[in-house]
Amino acid sequence: MRQELVHVIAGNSFAIGDAQGDIEVDPYAPIGLFSFDTRFLSRWVLTLDGQRMHALSRDDLTFFETRFVLVPGTASHYIDADVSVIRHRSIDDSFTERITVLNHSTQPTDFTLRLEIGSDFADIADIRDPAPHRVTAAADAARRELRLRYQRERFTRETLVTSTADGEVDERGMTFRIRVAADGEWSTDLHVRALIHGAAGRDLRADLDSHRHAVHRSMREDLAGWRDRAPRLIAEREALVRAYDCALTDLAALRYTPLSYRERVPVGGLPWAMALYGRDAMITCLETLPFTPELSPATLRLLALLQGGQLDDQHDEEPGKILVELRYGEVAAFDEQPTALYYGAADTTPLFVILLDEYERWSGDAALVRQLRHPARMALDWIDEYGDACGDGYLRYQRRNTRNGLVNQGWRNSPDAIVDRHGRQPAFPRATCELQGYAYDAKIRGARLAREFWDDPAYADRLEADAARLRERFNRDFWLPQREYYALALEPDGTPVDALTSHLGHLLWSGIVEPERAGALAAHLCGPELFSGWGVRTYAAGQRPYNPVGAHLGAVWPADNALIATGLRRYGYDAEAARIAAGIFAVAETLEGSLPEVIAGYPRPVTKYPVQLPAAGRPQSWSSGAVLMLLGTLLGLRPCGDNLLVNPALPEGFGRIELLDVPGRWGRSDAYGRDRVTGGRPRAR
Amino acid sequence: MRLSATQHLARRVAGRHPELPENIAGTLRLDLRDGGHTEHWYLTIGQQHVDVAPSADDAELIVRGDRGVFDRMAAGELHLAAALLRNDLTVQGNVQLLGTLRRLFPGPPDARHPREAAGERGGLA
Repeated sequence: MRQELVHVIAGNSFAIGDAQGDIEVDPYAPIGLFSFDTRFLSRWVLTLDGQRMHALSRDDLTFFETRFVLVPGTASHYIDADVSVIRHRSIDDSFTERITVLNHSTQPTDFTLRLEIGSDFADIADIRDPAPHRVTAAADAARRELRLRYQRERFTRETLVTSTADGEVDERGMTFRIRVAADGEWSTDLHVRALIHGAAGRDLRADLDSHRHAVHRSMREDLAGWRDRAPRLIAEREALVRAYDCALTDLAALRYTPLSYRERVPVGGLPWAMALYGRDAMITCLETLPFTPELSPATLRLLALLQGGQLDDQHDEEPGKILVELRYGEVAAFDEQPTALYYGAADTTPLFVILLDEYERWSGDAALVRQLRHPARMALDWIDEYGDACGDGYLRYQRRNTRNGLVNQGWRNSPDAIVDRHGRQPAFPRATCELQGYAYDAKIRGARLAREFWDDPAYADRLEADAARLRERFNRDFWLPQREYYALALEPDGTPVDALTSHLGHLLWSGIVEPERAGALAAHLCGPELFSGWGVRTYAAGQRPYNPVGAHLGAVWPADNALIATGLRRYGYDAEAARIAAGIFAVAETLEGSLPEVIAGYPRPVTKYPVQLPAAGRPQSWSSGAVLMLLGTLLGLRPCGDNLLVNPALPEGFGRIELLDVPGRWGRSDAYGRDRVTGGRPRAR
Repeated sequence: MRLSATQHLARRVAGRHPELPENIAGTLRLDLRDGGHTEHWYLTIGQQHVDVAPSADDAELIVRGDRGVFDRMAAGELHLAAALLRNDLTVQGNVQLLGTLRRLFPGPPDARHPREAAGERGGLA
């Protein structure tokens, strides 16, 4: 069995090692110290007198700090050590490890402490099969430093390891031959810097105003401030408070400052998505508006700066399009992957307008809406000019980068995610249903922004007329009357893709659904094919492609479920929303700790325990955000003019909930809710 | 016709640019290195308008690179963000203006409109 892995995180820098704190390459997991998508340490192994260490205890102090208490030898031996070693590691802009050797004997004792140090400078995108890199090492004992360096043309990455204590330095590590007094201790601080070379060999970040001005914050103070600004949750159900606290801390950990920027925005999550993903970031913002609204203006401004400006097939870019992925590693630099700025997504652009409007409704930040008028207009124009690839009024996608662009450009982005009930793949360009919901919502919201802030009532009228036509067309062409749900997608010739999926919830969330059809959708979402007991499956059981461990063909995503529950409440299906929210909270309570990105779709009574998928990230911004959104949805939080509306509909057994100091245009306001006996009220069909 | 960076700056960059947000303003200097010689171009951006002048004055953002790198950018053959990561271009100052610079240079010459691509390759891509 594989050992447990331990991580520390600071934005897009993170270190993952084993339970002893050692780092050794594993082709199946991103083990090492990573920063800006590059592995800067792939070997970091501690021995004492030639022996590997064994962990007696570990204290995960915060997300950026861990302490390992170790003794020499392996677990199979009887341990009665006269010596122990404490590794205390933390990460902020750089990685630091304090190694302390404690001599418990009554004699002064000599020890040889050795740290093996190495790096392969692999790009995280390449981690399963990294290209071999010629790494040069320069040992300098006088300066107590080891410098590892990789260069390809002008692209240079460097790991600089320094020690505060004297020792021997060679190209493969550092050795400390020490004498420790009886009952005494010895320690050294090892400092690891991950350098990205810019002009004249200086670190690139030194030349950027954005990063020079970024004051070195104390991570502790920063975390305390973040938590103080968020509302306080008091609940009879303690597990709820634990899930809330954990989600808030995850969201703090998963913020980073991009190279070209001053503010922090959410990364996708650990371990594969420690980078900016436009969709994940915006969904996270939408989920967290009543709790941590500061994420939203930072994300909106950044995505506006990076908005597409040209037609570019390799990067699937068009003018006005909103970015989906931003990476800094070698494969992005040399265009081996299009990820230096990748735009292969059809949902990010309408989501940008939706988030801008929703953020204003909560915050009252009219200045930002005015400041972002031009990018928002470009985004709205993109929907019709470039998104409508067949000219039939539907938002569609088809990658132009056929080498390594994404086949599916919605949130269901695995290659086989869009299939009908029999597993047949539809033709491109594909108009998936949730895209039409988002486009409709973006137009409705864009109209409000145009009328209230941009002084452009004619444009507002046009958007509303467009939206009304889209809604009518959608309800005619996507509706499957025999099955009583909307098709997953339409092919270019108008053929519906008849699969039953969780996207029905996204349609409710967007408001494109005719109210008389919402009841049928709610019944499907809570029915046995879609609802697993933990949450709504991406793809309903009983269809040929269904696979409980298929990411988009049957597994359950908390972020998906947060939008579904919110959509159900929008149409008045409160009991159904509560049932789904209760399922996802049960996952959080059962697993403890961060809510994973996705769990298997097995029926809850069969496994009794949420089954995690090996590839699922944890923590993940939009999963942690889902905890917050579900809480807000259960309390029925909604901005209405300058007031916070509260309309609770809690699941049975949730008792009393108080959410204090909810921030918004009202200043701070409190929300209270209590579960009600549900007997006699309509229940999920 | 393939334009050099110098020709592109003089003919295509100077003037009005409705594709730029009206509230973006700033100064930007491009340093084109050519052997021991460096050519400086100074861009003043504001109100969707760009002025271009040969000047070595200090600017909010300075972008440096070999002339050949800028020539490839003018031909739409070079992606600014990737060039920066490769260190083929170096920058100093307010990098938020980089997004503006990207819009002043063309995309790849063979790029297609999504509708054109859809027409070419209907069916399974």
